Amino acid sequence: MAITQAMCTSFKKELLEGVHNFKNSGGGTFKLALYAISSGGKSSTTATLGATTTAFTTTGEIASSGSYATGGGSLTRVDPTTSGTTGFTDFSDLSFTTATITARGALIYNSSASNKAVAALDFGGNKTSTSGTFTIQFPTANASNAIIRIA
Amino acid sequence: MISVETGVQVTQVNVMTSDNGGLSSEQITELALDKIVRVSQDAPPAIRDQAEAFKEEIRSVIHHYVELTRKEERGTICQMLSKAGHQDTADLVRRL
Repeated sequence: MAITQAMCTSFKKELLEGVHNFKNSGGGTFKLALYAISSGGKSSTTATLGATTTAFTTTGEIASSGSYATGGGSLTRVDPTTSGTTGFTDFSDLSFTTATITARGALIYNSSASNKAVAALDFGGNKTSTSGTFTIQFPTANASNAIIRIA
Repeated sequence: MISVETGVQVTQVNVMTSDNGGLSSEQITELALDKIVRVSQDAPPAIRDQAEAFKEEIRSVIHHYVELTRKEERGTICQMLSKAGHQDTADLVRRL
């Protein structure tokens, strides 16, 4: 059981099918859910996320705490743009407050398209907040670092 | 055969956490810095050193204004609490 950083393979296909819309105005609702491994999820479940993930799953998702509610938080979309030959999009940073959380990774998914998976994120280790703030900062939105890029 | 090859990529996110309260001014400063200045480890040493020095300059400016923002916000909250007759709570907030 593991969480592996990856763009979900099903998402690549769905991009070609026009399933996802990342535009700030009129785009889909994208969410970020947090996951634990080593039986850290609610009901002692553990997450397996990676390229083969096709949709949001409750298995291994962390329990609600503070402003984190199961299903995760909604992401604020930033209009897709290009730089050179690369197209990319971004989200505003997301924070959960007064929360006691231990998470190893996350899943970005499209809740307005049957919860289809976009990307699995590996934090590289457990990240913990205790009655505090848990912030996910997205990388600088450019052709080399943006969270989602088509090069 | 005609084909076009492309790659869809995802980048690592940065996670910042706190215990028993919100993020500190130092943590918020770090979050802002990461968005403003990114120094490539592949950059020539002279340029990298210059960029790192610039980053440190920016760090102190951001930290100063984050602290100022928090102080001013607390001042506004204290004033509102005092006006509403909650002097004890206002004093508590002022001492944060």
